[in-house]
This record gives sequence, structure tokens and C-alpha cells, in this order.
Amino acid sequence: MTPILEFRDIERSFKRNVPVLNGVSFAMQAGEVAALLGRNGAGKTTLIRIAMGMLHPYAGSVRVFGASLTEDPVAIKRRIGYVAEDQVLPPSSRIAELIALHRYLFPRWDGALESQLLDRFALSPASRIKHLSKGQARQVALLCAVCHRPELLLLDEPAGGLDPAARREFLETSIQLLNREGTAILFSSHHMGDVERLGGRVILLDEGKVRLDEDLDCLREGVCVAMVPRTSAADAAVLERVPGCLRVRPVFDDWHAVFRGEPDAVQATLAAALGVNGICCARVPLEELFIEMVGGNRGEAV
Amino acid sequence: MQLLIHPADEVPIYRQIMRQITEGIAVGRLKAGEKLPSHRDLSEQLVIAPLTVKKAYDELELLGFIETQRGRGTFVCARLPRPDPVHQMEEVRDTARKLLAQAYLAGLRYPGVLQVLEQADRALSAPASEEEKV
Repeated sequence: MTPILEFRDIERSFKRNVPVLNGVSFAMQAGEVAALLGRNGAGKTTLIRIAMGMLHPYAGSVRVFGASLTEDPVAIKRRIGYVAEDQVLPPSSRIAELIALHRYLFPRWDGALESQLLDRFALSPASRIKHLSKGQARQVALLCAVCHRPELLLLDEPAGGLDPAARREFLETSIQLLNREGTAILFSSHHMGDVERLGGRVILLDEGKVRLDEDLDCLREGVCVAMVPRTSAADAAVLERVPGCLRVRPVFDDWHAVFRGEPDAVQATLAAALGVNGICCARVPLEELFIEMVGGNRGEAV
Repeated sequence: MQLLIHPADEVPIYRQIMRQITEGIAVGRLKAGEKLPSHRDLSEQLVIAPLTVKKAYDELELLGFIETQRGRGTFVCARLPRPDPVHQMEEVRDTARKLLAQAYLAGLRYPGVLQVLEQADRALSAPASEEEKV
């Protein structure tokens, strides 16, 4: 099956010799959901903008619905929905005018879905954008991105800066789309609770590369963190050589090492490799896993 | 039956659903033959991905707790699987150890723990009246 979205060896930088993306490859199938994770500056927004054809990669290629974005950009973009991280909507426009513009641009516009969302978000079509709260403006942006029933939805931190209730409404809408339309969704987020709810695949960007690309549940159940006293391992390299090790970082008097495998099995592997029994290994929530994978050293003497 | 999920839990959401449904069956809150919500309804009710619900249901079906009847929906099995007694006892012992550790940390003594257990037993066997109204 042709992937709905495919990145191949994408490279992009903004400052010379400082690559933001340095060989990113992955593909998404129709109806798939993937969360793009990474620290600020990891390249999530850059990658999403490349998928939208708003930025060109310096090397590598991107294909959407099997075609290059330069071949027929209008036809492709009619099948994509996009909400930018800092979506700027024309401040003096009324919601109704913005919707009319989108309806004109997208022949597949679904008027029933539009009224349903206006209703759910309690938006009045006569309101001007500049009089909306941040949450309401995001809701308008989402409405404009989904009412043409896109096959691929690109959401760049869609719920950034929203209060918990507004975020939940945003999620409800996304899940409804998943259920009714089978839309594929690539979204970036710093809210691990939202990532857990939307499920699917987790793609972690770090230092310009894909550090992890795995099903959320497999990641949650197939990876654990070992807390190894520094007295048991001379340096990080000793742990990095142990099979299944994904990352090591110092945290005060311990090494925190992320390992692939069940906690009991990892404990046994570590006992064999280091000759130390009873090393604490535990599965951790996604937020902790994220921090262990990309967080900095802690407790280092400065 | 109301399900409650916690995204930040150590256990993935699909396992939380599995656990709550099997617990519901164990205490009789879910009866044999009772219909479960569809993937879509439960996904929208809990605000989680439909695939997560499907995964939980698929696993429960494999374990023999629920069955899907094509075109009709998903139901609690009329004949529930015979539990694996050795494995289950091991889990109960493990949970008991954790419970005691936590209780002692909280300053309870053994008779206090027994009291808590008796209260919990009464709550479980009481007819599921208030929760069902939701």
C-alpha cells in the first residue's frame, strides 16, 4: 500500500552546519495516528512544515499520497488539514467569512460537520477573530482544518496553551474524526496525557534523528528504566554496551538507563553484565520515559 | 458500567480497560450475556482512540471473557473461562504483599487492615446502585 505520508532522509538546517533535521525517515499509512515528540527545537514544526510544502528539505524527499508536493500542490492540499502551532487568522475577519473562504477553497466542505462544530465549540459565526480567546481561535483553526474531511490531518501542538477543558474538547473532535472518517493524524505535542489518549505510534525526534518509532503500547510495556548506582558502573559506556540499552544519563548518585525488555529480564541481564544483583528496574509512564530519553544530566558537578 | 481511565498511569490504557471489565465481571457488576458499548461509543465516551478500545476487546475475547457477535455487538460470555488457579493465587499473594506494605507505611496495624478489607468486601457485594445511575 502506498503510504499516505513518507519522509525519506530529510535534512534541513536554518543556520549553517547546525542541522535541525539530519536524516529523518518514516512513513504513515492511511488511518494511522502518530505522535511526534521531542524537546523544543527538536524539529517537529520543521518536519510538519516540510510535509505541508511550506519548507523545502535540503536533502531527502517527502511524498504525500504517493506524490511529490511540487507536482500538484493544490490537489494534495485539498486532502490535508493543517493547524499550525502559531496559527495566525486574519484578525478583522468574522468567523463566517473565514468559513466561506474555506468552503470556496475546498469543494468537499461538509456543512453538517461545520454546524456541529460551531455548536460544540459554542462559536458565533458573526464574531471577529480578534475578539476571540486563544482557545476559541484554536477551535476556529481546527474547524477550518477538518470540515473538508481531510485524509491526513497535520496538527502542530494543536492544544498548546489551551486550558484542560478546551484541550479535552479538541481531543474529542479528533477522536470523532478518527471514528467517522478514519483520518490519519500526525500531531506534535508536549502533553503526554493527550498522546496516551490518541494512541497509535510514538515518533521521538532527538538531535535531528528519529530516536524511537514504536507503537505506544509496545513502548509502554516493552521498555523500562533501570536505576544503577554509579558505584556499580564506572561510566555510561559500560551500560551502553549492555544489550537492549537505549540511553544512559547520570542522575545524582545513579545512572538512569532506558532498556528494551521486561523489568525482570533487564534486571537479570544487568546482574550478569555488572555482577550486581537487585538493580531497580521499572516500567514508567510516558512522561518519565520522554524525560529519560531526551532529558539532560542531573546532579553533575559544575 | 462506568469505566475510568488514567492516562498517566503506569499501565497502558488498553490494560486499564481490560482490568476494569474483568473486575466488573468478577464482582458481578457485569452479568453474563450483558452487552458492552461499541468500540466507537466507548472511544468517544472515554475520549481515547478507537483502536485502543479494539485492542482491549480483542485481548478480552482471546482470554474468553467477551465475545463479538457479528452485526450485534460485543457481549460478556455466557460461559466464563475457568481461572488458572495457580497464576491467580500468585497474583493475589503479590497484591496482598503490596497492600500490607502500603498499609503499614500509612501507620495501620494488621487488625486495621482487616477492617479495611471488610469494608471493601461490603462495598463490592452491595448492589451496584449509585454507580449505575451515571
